[in-house]
Amino acid sequence: MKKGITLLVVALLLLTSFSNVFAGGQQEAVEAAPEVATPAEPVEIQFWTRQTQSERQEQIQVLLDVFQLLNPDIKVTMLPVEDNEFSTQLAAAGKANRPNLIETSAFYAMSYNVDNIVDSSANKAIINSVGADSFFPGSLNNVQMGDGSYFGVPFHFAAQGIWYRTDWFEEAGLEAPNTWENILKAAEYFNDPANKQYGILIGTKPENYTQQTFTHLATANDAHLFDAEGNLAVTSPEFKEAVEYYKALSEFTPPGPQTWRARDYYIQGKMAMFYYSTYIMDDLSLAEVAASSLTSENFSDLGGGTFDSNLVKNTAFVPLISNTESSGYGEIMTLSVLKSEDAAKTAATQRLAEFFLSDENYIPYLHVAPGGMLAMKTSVIESDQFINDPKGVYANYGKAKINEIAGGLGAMQDFLKTGESLFPESASILAKNLVGQMLYNVTIEDKDIDDEIANLEKEIKRLLEN
Amino acid sequence: MAIGLAARKEERLAWGLVAPAVLVIGILIAYPTFLNLFLSFFEVRLDGSKTFIGLGNYKNLLTNPNYYASIWTTFIFLVGSVAGSTLLGLGTALLMNQKFPLRSLVRTLIILPYFAPVISMVFGWQFIFDPVNGIFNFVFADTLHLISPDTNLIGDPDSVMWVLIAFTTWKYFPITYLLLLSRLQLIDKSMYEAASIEGAGKWACFWHITLPEIEFVLGTTILLRLIWNLNRFEDIYLLSPQIKTLSVFTYEQAFSGVIDQGLACSAALIQLLLAGIGIVYYIKKVLKW
Repeated sequence: MKKGITLLVVALLLLTSFSNVFAGGQQEAVEAAPEVATPAEPVEIQFWTRQTQSERQEQIQVLLDVFQLLNPDIKVTMLPVEDNEFSTQLAAAGKANRPNLIETSAFYAMSYNVDNIVDSSANKAIINSVGADSFFPGSLNNVQMGDGSYFGVPFHFAAQGIWYRTDWFEEAGLEAPNTWENILKAAEYFNDPANKQYGILIGTKPENYTQQTFTHLATANDAHLFDAEGNLAVTSPEFKEAVEYYKALSEFTPPGPQTWRARDYYIQGKMAMFYYSTYIMDDLSLAEVAASSLTSENFSDLGGGTFDSNLVKNTAFVPLISNTESSGYGEIMTLSVLKSEDAAKTAATQRLAEFFLSDENYIPYLHVAPGGMLAMKTSVIESDQFINDPKGVYANYGKAKINEIAGGLGAMQDFLKTGESLFPESASILAKNLVGQMLYNVTIEDKDIDDEIANLEKEIKRLLEN
Repeated sequence: MAIGLAARKEERLAWGLVAPAVLVIGILIAYPTFLNLFLSFFEVRLDGSKTFIGLGNYKNLLTNPNYYASIWTTFIFLVGSVAGSTLLGLGTALLMNQKFPLRSLVRTLIILPYFAPVISMVFGWQFIFDPVNGIFNFVFADTLHLISPDTNLIGDPDSVMWVLIAFTTWKYFPITYLLLLSRLQLIDKSMYEAASIEGAGKWACFWHITLPEIEFVLGTTILLRLIWNLNRFEDIYLLSPQIKTLSVFTYEQAFSGVIDQGLACSAALIQLLLAGIGIVYYIKKVLKW
């Protein structure tokens, strides 16, 4: 009897502990009947935003309140979701709780389109309503599948590149880090771990930031996941050179697997260069924003540092990197309407997206994160109203510099495209973080580059076959 | 005959008492378990559609070398963390069973790591081992010059498993300590007095009195820790996501980037099967219950 009960309890414990995993499948299987809105009740829609900081959410909520006042027949619920968590949350939400409008990276939106949950006709209707000509020339190509359908509407973008200490470079007589050679030379020169100073920050943790830094450096060497004919190209000489270069550069980045958070070392005056998006602009120029990156208040002996008001003046941004060719990179964020069986919800979602994209609401939305959310509408980025953000971040850089940064959008390259050919499969490869894992294996686990590239090829084939 | 009848009655009563709980828990877990089994034979897409692929997910899983690597990683983590928390829990319980000033306060303080939220503990540890600003490098590299200033214990593949085992041991040994201490307090002190008169030393007392007395509780805590650590996810994923235990591997299959719930369901079922076999072997052969 004692044995029987003991075994039974153990079995139940085991099964209970697995129930979380099972619950994932449970969500997917439950499909609620479509809600039918009656005229008396407002149509309820969900908006998922990647703006997870509470201050940003408060500002967006003000816009949503205005929208609901103007549209009393619509009720909007906002849910902040980290970009890396979007797929997780979508899977957990299942069909019944799927959001109606999402603000997410273009490559995630593309992968959701492959998964058949994006309403491309609704996206197209929004683009037509706002005016296709009002977006930056060529920007619609970044949200379009090969068949011409739209997996999202261009919303805003953050240019990415290398931020560096101009005063250190001038003193050392080094050229701006705008080529492979200049970057490596400067990284080696400034790297001094014994004195807690590092040459550069690039991603070495198996995650998306690492893939982003690598993409920019690799496309500068004409390395892509697929060649123009659609053949897998990770074993190409260009790709291998890019991995070898990345490995060499990683020797001058802070030890261990690093991600974007290590940008704090730059703000603390302990790093010469770091790879980052224009989201950093307010951290560099505003003491209150930079506070979380400075640790000296709590650990004075550890020399975290105090805010350097000259840092913004002594920092420059390189948006274009070149080796065999010049390459720009950035993250385009889209608004994307997801499929719903309720036409009223889709219509309400379109109205919300159009509301966000009208100039009077678009600028306040972009001002929730000055620097990180550059306009994708030509008329807006050139306007004084956009440059005069409430925090004064853009004013610290000047209109000419902002326009120069925004101009990098035209030179943007990524792994989704090779020349004019679009490869939606790349979205799945990046979403699964296969390139990031390979780079982690090479840079941190010191594994053989040829073996890891061969493994990457195998993993990609395995993913695409499934 | 009468004794046998009484025993059967007692057995029936025991089953009657546990039956409602077994029924409720059975219903709560039976549905997701069988749904999990069902889904493991399908390719499940984000739009809710399913395509029957038979044993495709199992074949995919069992031909993936990363899956076997995660089984090995899980084994190392289990051995290290269960041994660590058990030995530290046992040692602390023996120590806290002695009389000394402020014993009650110390006994309470020891439990704190167990109650503290995982997320704050993980961030605390990450900050401690930060290679540039962390206190660990400040003391051992900058001040004592015992290690290289370039050391990143929590990031170095050669040391990260040890850090994870140390973290799990530190975070979860209090529950072992609590259970063992409560059992130690029930041991009849006269047994030690008698052994002492017979000339038994402290080690002999521990080996021949303490250990047999706490054997059942010790075995149970090891068993529970094995089950809990096998399925532990949040600590590992937050502290060192590069360590791919089975739970992390399954999570990444199911929810990371391209969603593959069918494959994750098959991974979860195999994990359940492996755990079941291991646990039954432990109970039958090691604990001999």
